[in-house]
Amino acid sequence: MDISFLLGQALTNGLIVGLLYLLMAIGFTLVFGVMRIANFAHGEFYMLGAFIAFICVTQWGLPYMLSVLVAFVLTLALGWVLELAILKPFRGDELNGLIATLGLGMVIQNVALMAFGPDPQSMPPAAEGVVMLGKIVMPLSRLYVVAFSAVVLVALYVFLMHSKAGRALRAVVQDMEIASSYGIRSSAAYPLGFALGVALAAIAGALMAPVFSVSPFIGGAPLFKAFIVVVLGGLGSIGGAVLASLLLGISESLGSTFFDGSTADMLIFALVILVLVVRPTGLLGRAEH
Amino acid sequence: MTRHSIFTLAGPSPGGAATHSRGASAVAWLLLAALAIMPLGFSSAFYVHLAILICLNIFIVSGLALVTRTGQLSLCHAAFIGIGAYVSVLSEMRLGLPFLAAAALGTAAAALTAYLLGSAILRLRGVYFVLITFAFGELFRLFMLDAATVTGGANGIAKIPAASLLGYALDTRKLFYCLAAPLALASIGFLAAFFRTAKGHALDAVGENPGLAESSGISVRKSQLFAFTVGSGMAGLGGVLLSRYVGYISPESFSAQVSIAAIIMLVVGGRTSIAGPLIGALIMTPLPELFRGAVQSQNIFYGVTLILILRFLPKGIASLGLMRRLTGERP
Amino acid sequence: MMKKTLILASLFAAAGAANAQETLKIGAVLALSGPGAAWGQGMQYAAQFAADDVNAKGGLEVDGKKYKVEIIAYDDKYQANEAVTAVNRLIFEDKVRYVIGPTGSAPALAIQPVTEKNKVIIMTLAFTAKAMGPDKPYTFRPVLTTVETAGPQVAWLSKALGIKKVGGLFVSDESGQQQHEWLSKAYKDAGIPLAASEFFDRDRVDMMPLITRLMAKGVEAIELNGISPTTAGLIAKQARELGFKGRFIRSGGPATAEIVNVAGAKTVEGMIVYTQFDPDDPKVKTYATRYSDKYNKPMNGFSPSFYDGTHMLFEAMAKAGTVTDTDKVRAALESIKDYPGVLGNTSWAGQETYGINHQVDTPFYLSEVVAGKEVIRARCTMAGCE
Repeated sequence: MDISFLLGQALTNGLIVGLLYLLMAIGFTLVFGVMRIANFAHGEFYMLGAFIAFICVTQWGLPYMLSVLVAFVLTLALGWVLELAILKPFRGDELNGLIATLGLGMVIQNVALMAFGPDPQSMPPAAEGVVMLGKIVMPLSRLYVVAFSAVVLVALYVFLMHSKAGRALRAVVQDMEIASSYGIRSSAAYPLGFALGVALAAIAGALMAPVFSVSPFIGGAPLFKAFIVVVLGGLGSIGGAVLASLLLGISESLGSTFFDGSTADMLIFALVILVLVVRPTGLLGRAEH
Repeated sequence: MTRHSIFTLAGPSPGGAATHSRGASAVAWLLLAALAIMPLGFSSAFYVHLAILICLNIFIVSGLALVTRTGQLSLCHAAFIGIGAYVSVLSEMRLGLPFLAAAALGTAAAALTAYLLGSAILRLRGVYFVLITFAFGELFRLFMLDAATVTGGANGIAKIPAASLLGYALDTRKLFYCLAAPLALASIGFLAAFFRTAKGHALDAVGENPGLAESSGISVRKSQLFAFTVGSGMAGLGGVLLSRYVGYISPESFSAQVSIAAIIMLVVGGRTSIAGPLIGALIMTPLPELFRGAVQSQNIFYGVTLILILRFLPKGIASLGLMRRLTGERP
Repeated sequence: MMKKTLILASLFAAAGAANAQETLKIGAVLALSGPGAAWGQGMQYAAQFAADDVNAKGGLEVDGKKYKVEIIAYDDKYQANEAVTAVNRLIFEDKVRYVIGPTGSAPALAIQPVTEKNKVIIMTLAFTAKAMGPDKPYTFRPVLTTVETAGPQVAWLSKALGIKKVGGLFVSDESGQQQHEWLSKAYKDAGIPLAASEFFDRDRVDMMPLITRLMAKGVEAIELNGISPTTAGLIAKQARELGFKGRFIRSGGPATAEIVNVAGAKTVEGMIVYTQFDPDDPKVKTYATRYSDKYNKPMNGFSPSFYDGTHMLFEAMAKAGTVTDTDKVRAALESIKDYPGVLGNTSWAGQETYGINHQVDTPFYLSEVVAGKEVIRARCTMAGCE
């Protein structure tokens, strides 16, 4: 066994996967930051994004990038409506909001099941072929996703730092009371935050649909990864999410490549519980009020 | 920043009082007794089967209710059911322990694990705690899958012997029901009695307003740890019984979905009422059987019901006027 | 609750009264959602076709009476505990004496204590050897499994294609573990022991680390055994993405159409599969057309086996002269020899391997996938290929 190849490939796989996880997790941490709701339906919005892209490409023949945009816009609108219609009574109410999102997730998944059936569907890849770095192989289809994740993250950064709505959101994440004392309309912050968060999940789903497959059940894994990333990185901390997702991706990849898949999974879990016991708010999280 | 606990919901709580039970009316207990005896008269094995499942669910969800009354939500309740099941099954089938000893061991294992886990993570509040219990639940499931040589892995363990008391095997449904029903009744009775004691009041106070409770001398941490340990231990005992009744266990039987099902039962039934687990189990257990063949509709129904109850009847069906009169509980 | 029970009971009674005509209920516990859904549906459609066949003739004629056949199917989601609940309902509420399924090995093992105790005949797809045995006289398996096909297939691989280094990916569940056991033995016996074996969780979608490990060992072919069609397709897709240039081998259940759908024809060019039937056989073609006409999807490879199996069950009931005495039906079923099914000449065998002759014995074929279609390369029986 060629150790250097294994190590190099594992690290590369890990970095790529880490960026995928970041894309999955960023929406989740945003929603929690703004609304203090751990959105258990997060994975189902990822799944919706994947289906929207799937339908756009395979049934309406739209170009792939346009499909991703459509997924973003549609989910943004859906998220806004759902927040106003369903989650409004739970604003600030952590536990009940969490339970409500459990219900919401069940409904979304089963509606998708009724509409599309349980069979996984396949989408044509966004790009074919590989890029070689010495002996290390990097599939273009995944690099595509990485590139677009980077674009999305930069766009998000710009939005949060330099736009009025974005700054308002950030202020709300920092402290709701202070934000509202500055007159920032918290009533708009909530639907915006939620809509943006789930739309980001949808982009992730749309980007990854060609890499994996599309079915009503694909939401479970991203939800799970998102949890781990935000819990490790600190709920509400975007910088923490970046750090944690890369860490998670690389540890997972190294673990699966050198041990086997399930051992790696268990080690990750144990790691999470350990980090939380030692540093309860995560690596870069803020202390609870 | 006011952080709402799971009790202060859409509307002010009158003086912050917890649910004080004046004692369920005699009518309520009579009704319950009648309900409990009824399945013995059923001729269809399937309905007795449903009755048994309802009883086990009442017991398990009562355990969850204990935990939620102190303000924490456990998303790994199923893992403790699983620990009770696996430990008791393995100690009976591999180590040859008699049923009662194995059952005790299983329950103790669940309680002990909860104690250890709780000691480590109960200082985390709200969402953090929930997320970690979720992680723990998954970890348990993966561990059961992987330790295949001991646990049978994905194949699970089949041909589990029936529960036997005093050398008499409870291998028919009606016989098993005679074990399950009293336990379900006992769990309701236990909750009723416990929450009238001082310790019970203290736990309720912790759930209502932890800050206030702490400053009046009640240790939030200790109360929550007690509730988590005992509640999860009850789940363990539920698992012991479930494994003997179904005769087969596998890691899939103790997944996050089961934990979520328990939460739904509790929330729909009523988190702050002793009748909550009973109502939740009564309503939700037979539903999959009615919906069988239309699984998606069933799950959509669950999700919608959950959201509606949270929104309009946050204290569950048990908070309806009629129910309150029966159980003698004031909000 | 009392009121509710009364309402429920009267609803059921009303439903029963409305059915004055004699109905023969055949139960089915199948994976209709989740990973094994393609197979479960194939089984369900097969049973339904067989039922439609006899119903078109006015019903199944047994001992002078004609029975309308009704298939009652429940989804077990490929999970053992769901299967147990479903079978409990079928036996005690729907009162069936025959069950088609389960699809998966773990569900099958879980329900056998109930079905065997209640003398309910089952026709299962379970690949595990543990499902068959003299202590399970009511279980029949109408499909060939890796146990039957592995030996001849692997021997042919080594002889005809000169393949030497094969790496295998297996699902870490009952089916996967069993297939690993049998395939390792077959590869060893053929002189080309497996160079690598990787197990993975059934729900896994990211196969890169596992494939990386296989490629690091320099394997020339990847053994996909009986992995569910979509997962197998994913593995093939990702293996090509990682630059794997070798062949894929599938020594497990038929799934070519689905794999080609997921991975694309180019990805799996040259894949070696075994099929239970000759796609050019007119009987097969008729069935396949009927299938795709009614359900709008290509026929699942396991379906013909269950079509034949269900028909054999009907024949056994007619032969035994009863639909309720399952001991007599069982004996009649066992005695069926050379049944002219869609799959060819069908009998029961398996005494040597399992201790009981409840394993179907039909010829099978080894094919190579060329441009998305199977092309037959060899004809085989349990004894060997030519």
